[in-house]
Amino acid sequence: MKMSEFESLSHHEQLAILYQDGVYIGKRRTGELTRLLFQLEAFYIEISYRSYRKAIHKICCSHSTVILEPYLEQIEIEYLVT
Amino acid sequence: MVKSTIPKNIVFYADDDTDDLELVKDAFDKFTNNVEVVTAKDGVQALAYLQSLNDFTLTPCLIILDVNMPILSGRDVLRKIKEIPSISSVPVVLFSTSSSALDKEFAKKYNAGFVTKPLDISQMKMITELFIDHCSDEIKRNIRRHLQ
Repeated sequence: MKMSEFESLSHHEQLAILYQDGVYIGKRRTGELTRLLFQLEAFYIEISYRSYRKAIHKICCSHSTVILEPYLEQIEIEYLVT
Repeated sequence: MVKSTIPKNIVFYADDDTDDLELVKDAFDKFTNNVEVVTAKDGVQALAYLQSLNDFTLTPCLIILDVNMPILSGRDVLRKIKEIPSISSVPVVLFSTSSSALDKEFAKKYNAGFVTKPLDISQMKMITELFIDHCSDEIKRNIRRHLQ
């Protein structure tokens, strides 16, 4: 799926695809928002919640790896290599 | 640890994320007639509870473990559960935001289920049914028969 195709879907459809095929990368908090980052094929999707798992603020997509930076320190390298 | 007073079918759930604890407890609300959700806030507390079970206490019909808990992870607790004869046959589900193939393989190796956490509360009804599907046939029938 291309990023443009994903972006054209409703939130409900996007979440169903992410639940099934998204690869979870990390979670972070900024102010009152909780954010989850996923990879889907060649792009990244960040879900921002006003209320975690209950109320979505927005869903952003990006091809850029810049979106990864705030999450990198949380990846469990030790677990991945053992 | 939070526990109500009326003994029913016990679903035991350990997670360090208080939002997820609330989400799962709320999801089982419709089964409140015969399901009690007992919770622990980390793996250490979870293991202490499970090791304290004896002939005079109710054994959970299902154990749900968050995978990524500090100090003692869900994977660690699952390994320990399999070493305790009195609870080694209780169905266990690993519960995680990640759908990591490694975690799924780990769950399979220890004869446990694996369920990915919801991205939205609308997915929680389906996930609660997945949890119940892991219980024994008798418990499944019992839980679903007594819907409010």
